[in-house]
Amino acid sequence: MRLKRFTPVQKAFHALLMLSFLVQAVTGTARMYIETNWGRTLAHPFGGYEGCLTVHKYVGLFMLFLFVCHLAYVLFIVMSKKIHSDDGLWLQKKDLKEFFSHLRWMFGGEAPRFERWGYWEKFDYWAVFWGMIILGTTGLMLYAPLETSRYFKGWSLNVALWVHRIEACLAMLHIFVIHFAIAHLRRHNFPMDRAMFCGDTDLESASEERPAWLARLRTNNELREKTIDDVSAIRMVVTYAVGLGAVALGISLVVGGLMNAGLVNW
Amino acid sequence: MHRALITSLFLVGLFLAVPCAAQEELAGTERYKLREASTGYYEEYEVIPGRGSPFKQWNTPSATLNTGGKGKVATYQADAHAQVSNYRHQRCESCHKETAHNNRHATRRNIACRQCHGTEPIAGVNYYFSPLNPIRRHAYVCAKCHQGASGSFAMYVVHEPSPLLAGTAESFPALYWVTWMMVAIAFFSFALFLPHTGLWMLRELFTRKKRGDK
Repeated sequence: MRLKRFTPVQKAFHALLMLSFLVQAVTGTARMYIETNWGRTLAHPFGGYEGCLTVHKYVGLFMLFLFVCHLAYVLFIVMSKKIHSDDGLWLQKKDLKEFFSHLRWMFGGEAPRFERWGYWEKFDYWAVFWGMIILGTTGLMLYAPLETSRYFKGWSLNVALWVHRIEACLAMLHIFVIHFAIAHLRRHNFPMDRAMFCGDTDLESASEERPAWLARLRTNNELREKTIDDVSAIRMVVTYAVGLGAVALGISLVVGGLMNAGLVNW
Repeated sequence: MHRALITSLFLVGLFLAVPCAAQEELAGTERYKLREASTGYYEEYEVIPGRGSPFKQWNTPSATLNTGGKGKVATYQADAHAQVSNYRHQRCESCHKETAHNNRHATRRNIACRQCHGTEPIAGVNYYFSPLNPIRRHAYVCAKCHQGASGSFAMYVVHEPSPLLAGTAESFPALYWVTWMMVAIAFFSFALFLPHTGLWMLRELFTRKKRGDK
């Protein structure tokens, strides 16, 4: 049996964000490393240094469009119905407590009883939110430098580029190392957590990892409507191919980036 | 009769005068739009104060440059390299080691020094008639590739100092502090989450999942 954690709309948002993030990661890294052979190889399928910029700009605009859609979606959800505080993504005092008890568990203590969202998932959400604002603002500044210099002095473009770079490195490292390690590579989720793709989350592992959520669903009699049968083998294979493809791409970007960092005139 | 005529003339004058005056003003702003955007000046008035203006020298030379013993004075000379010995047989990089590589124009677009700094004799950037003098560099140099470059656009720092080095706090404080702030955010986020995730993975590696537990 599988347990639904995300609605189809949320899954669609995640899939589109994932796809556009990967394109931005490849084109952006290719431009950052264009002085190296590795960077030129990455840039080649997008049409080199210039082509990468064109793709990066349009996909960036698409991501901002997606962000605006997400804000509208969130507003709609919040306005249209009452949301249980444990279904929301605001950081609570409870999350800090769970963080420390989770740390104690890592050294052999008792595992905390997580609700629907763990503290790391809430952090991930707000990290993307913050990243969207920072990368979106600096990206728009760099999108049209001549227009930007009408409102800010020209040297703000130097600053915008470095902020864009560092925030992008932070985002990529966080997704490709930490997010992938938690969602794919740790033993209980290996080879991937299907909660966000087809098939949803496994009922048994959810009742072990998120007992507080399961208890709430049971007391509110919501468990029956939230459980579904497993999906077909073909859809599962596609899911694994997409998910693990993203992991391979992300990790190769991190490894290539670290190996070639010394060859770039920063 | 007279009264009606006078009243209607008065009303016509009152309401038709407004668009007439506005139209004149509109034509003026339309006409000067491009020039304003480029110079920040409307006729002789500075309309957008605080922005890079081509009529003011905003890059007061502060750093001492190694110019064959002439110091920063050389940046004001028509031939900045007049005093450099054996000049004809040297490359720009021979002396300007850092400046040759601290700009993306050169490292990424393969633009040669002379494409911006001009041909021999290379004038110092602060020499009055130099194409790179801030009063005209946006129009004479930047606009060669960046069409429509304004005085403000030309304040982009082409020879960008390395943002993390201590000297940058003096030469480009905004870049230095903002970059360090971003690095600090990245550092603390990884200092927290890298060990956290590593420990978590290790702990799970040695924990068997409980099966069939209600």
